[in-house]
Amino acid sequence: MSETVVLDYELKSSIERVWHALTDSTTLSRWMLFKSNDFKPVVGHAFQFSEAPGWAGVVDCEVIEVEKPHRLSYTWVSGAESNMQHSTVVTWTLTEAEGGVTQLHLEQSGFRSEAKQEIGGAKYGWMSMLDQLKNLLPSE
Amino acid sequence: MRDVYSAVADPTRRRLLGLLADADELPLHEMTARFRVGRTAVSKHLAILKEAGLVIDRKAGRETLYHLNAAPLREIQEWVSFYDRFWTERIGHLKDLLEEENV
Repeated sequence: MSETVVLDYELKSSIERVWHALTDSTTLSRWMLFKSNDFKPVVGHAFQFSEAPGWAGVVDCEVIEVEKPHRLSYTWVSGAESNMQHSTVVTWTLTEAEGGVTQLHLEQSGFRSEAKQEIGGAKYGWMSMLDQLKNLLPSE
Repeated sequence: MRDVYSAVADPTRRRLLGLLADADELPLHEMTARFRVGRTAVSKHLAILKEAGLVIDRKAGRETLYHLNAAPLREIQEWVSFYDRFWTERIGHLKDLLEEENV
């Protein structure tokens, strides 16, 4: 489904190191765009990613799943202060592979439209988008 | 608010959107004429599209005219491609960090 961002990577690091990089607040701030975060790998913990160049506002998150060192999931709500708010779920899945390699799978899902009533919205690109959607959606 | 994607998951509704994309505005009877299903069924599909914000209607005398509003879909598409780039860059940094040093 196209409302989900899916990415797969192979990292030449042990699963423990990858897990640490995803769950240690200091390390997170080194590879995430956001300079600041108060993440803790505890289910129910509410935290924020903040201070990113070019990013208006903060990202509000809440940890929903922690299964060390295989699965981490949190909500991702951005744009709460503007009319561009979107609420999604980010899920990281780690799998140990041969030769000290870790497979990293990322999914961000739940993109919804607020369906603002923009009367007379341009139809530019609409049909090609519909065609793409047909390919992505399960066929009936 | 109905989910835009479940709204377009149905083939009849996708055809309706296709019809509306080719026309500025259409009344119900013109759309019904192009489907084998009846007026009530087409009307129900339009109501679902309306709930998802993909179709907007207005009264014109005794008729109701429908037109397309593609903005909700475009908005989602934009977010998805934005985050695709965002995470690709982030994971690139993560990879560099892990391969360069012990963290």
